[in-house]
Amino acid sequence: MLARRFAVALAAAAALAGCSHPVDVNAPSIRGVGYVRLEEVVKVHPLYGQLSQIDDAMSALSLQTLGPAVPKTGAQIAQETKELNAELKAAQDRANAILRHKQADYGAREQTAIRAALAAAGEAPSGAQSAQQMQNVSQAQAQQVTGQANQDFLTYQKSVVAQDNVAVGAIDKQLSKRADLQYRQKATQLQERESQLSLELSQQDANKRLELRTKLSNLALDDATRKTYRDQLNAIEKREGTALAQQRGIDAKELAKYQAQLRSQTQSQIAVQAAKIHAQTRSKLESRRNEVSTQIASQLKGLAPAQLPANASPQTRSKIAQIDKQFKTQFQADAKATVEQYQQTKSDLDARYAALHGVDAGAGAAANAQMGTLTKQRDDLYAKIVDQIKHEAASVAAKRGLRVVFVSPAAAGGGIDLTDDLKKDIESLHQ
Amino acid sequence: MNIRKSYALIVAAALLAAAVSPAAIAADLTDVGYIDQAAIGALPPFQKANAEMAKYQAQLQSQAATAMKKAKSDAQRQQLYAQFQQKFADRQRTVLGPLFARAQTAIAQVSSNKSLSVVVDKRIVIYGGQNITDEVVNLVKGPGAVVPPAATPPPSEIGFVDQQQIDQLPKVKQANDDYLKFANQQKQQAEKQMAAAKTNSDRQTIAKSFQKTLGDQQDKVLKPLVDRTKNAMADVAKKKNLILVVDKNDIIYGGTDITADVQSELK
Repeated sequence: MLARRFAVALAAAAALAGCSHPVDVNAPSIRGVGYVRLEEVVKVHPLYGQLSQIDDAMSALSLQTLGPAVPKTGAQIAQETKELNAELKAAQDRANAILRHKQADYGAREQTAIRAALAAAGEAPSGAQSAQQMQNVSQAQAQQVTGQANQDFLTYQKSVVAQDNVAVGAIDKQLSKRADLQYRQKATQLQERESQLSLELSQQDANKRLELRTKLSNLALDDATRKTYRDQLNAIEKREGTALAQQRGIDAKELAKYQAQLRSQTQSQIAVQAAKIHAQTRSKLESRRNEVSTQIASQLKGLAPAQLPANASPQTRSKIAQIDKQFKTQFQADAKATVEQYQQTKSDLDARYAALHGVDAGAGAAANAQMGTLTKQRDDLYAKIVDQIKHEAASVAAKRGLRVVFVSPAAAGGGIDLTDDLKKDIESLHQ
Repeated sequence: MNIRKSYALIVAAALLAAAVSPAAIAADLTDVGYIDQAAIGALPPFQKANAEMAKYQAQLQSQAATAMKKAKSDAQRQQLYAQFQQKFADRQRTVLGPLFARAQTAIAQVSSNKSLSVVVDKRIVIYGGQNITDEVVNLVKGPGAVVPPAATPPPSEIGFVDQQQIDQLPKVKQANDDYLKFANQQKQQAEKQMAAAKTNSDRQTIAKSFQKTLGDQQDKVLKPLVDRTKNAMADVAKKKNLILVVDKNDIIYGGTDITADVQSELK
């Protein structure tokens, strides 16, 4: 009777223990070890859709900044910018010279016409002289303003380019510092490997070394035996030294390769950032150049109003005003072609300037800023997802009686894969 | 009465079952340890050594810049570069080497005291295991020499592979090189297309196409090799009675190195 009851109790115990955890976690192939393929569980998390959207946006952005090819160096850009500026200045000077010539020509013809009109009206020619003087003053002022505008532009350009250089230098420094940090981390990792090897070698020979040292400490040893022990000890030291030196050689090569890789990556990143800064500089300079251009164009638009003699009759005033208007109109029509020619040259130079600094560099700058925001969003979201998975994994592992659970091993020869259980748990949590 | 006795027996059996159930086993200590490496790196001697290295590096960079200006050829520049690298590496060994050795010895000692067969990075353990960070930190910070343990780590059921060595296998290296070559060609094409693209929509289309092409090529060229490598690792792990295999970079102490076996399996 007692035996039957015990059997019943055992069966009940087995049923109770078995119904919740059918897998024996202590089986030789498991030994209390579990693992989780984290990325697969992440994919069933309710926030994964959001994560995917961010990933898509990031990849689209990163590939948007693919083109154009690697920008030129700062020195090349500086040199070519200088050449373009020289071309632009030459075009401005050429346009100004043509316009000044036209202005003088139209001014002289207007003066002749005014003089004739005054003579016909029987009035003093002093008014015409005064008009000529005013015309000359007007021309001188126009030249002065144009020269000043160009001078201001060059000063502004110098200042902006200096800022550009400082910004590029700062980026260069920052990215180089990051690369250095990565390099140091790698060096540290290799150093640890060497230390580990050194320790292993030392442990491996510890007993033998101790034995030899103990023997050598015996004062009663004869010279030959002492030499034998010492040679053996030296051989151990040499073997360890050789093994360590070999490892160091391998590590040094690995480190050099990694550094070359880092250097290439850093240069590429610096180039991208520099392109961004150059694009901003280009935009600023272009904007200022347009202002200068507008300024010059407004100066070249027309002549100063004709100066009338103080004693001129209303009819003469009217006649001279008509002559003035007629010559201004003719001059403006004639000058328009020159201004248009100049604008075309400027437009071509602007295009070359843009090409020099990289098409879409401005768009790239915006994309980079957006990329930074997206990366942070992505990191925060991913951390949130992983934290929840870890919490659930700990709960599952505790229930199953596992002693340790690893994340995403390279391969599994045994253990319990908790991935499917966790996937169900994570899904059910959000249903 | 009989019913009550039977009920009591069943309850007792249930308690027994609970006691020997996996949940109870979970309380047992494990021979897997883990450590937060950042905590070691944050110790004052490491911080000081890193600061010293940073200062030395700045000095070297300044010297290198001056020397590079005088160099007349690329070969000379490369030679100079290698010389400065060597100087830096030498100093690093001098300054950081003893600290790493002390930390490594401390890890070995704590692991040996706790009979750990493997110590891994904290990042890859999400449940269980023994956190030995504090003990190692205290030992590293403590006065006097840290004595290495006499015993080597016991055999571990956790294996590891050096992926860098696996990547050097001719087949794997060839596949990686081929893929990189393909990716570079595709990138150049995509760059040209990007330069000619006029709208953001065009650019996104080019980007997606580029990404898909690379993904397809990865599936075609690299994935079979990755799968084969994983299978080889799993096979070796089973043969060697290992439970899991992790990357060598995550192993700090102990573990069973199966890199050579995996390499043989893949040949």
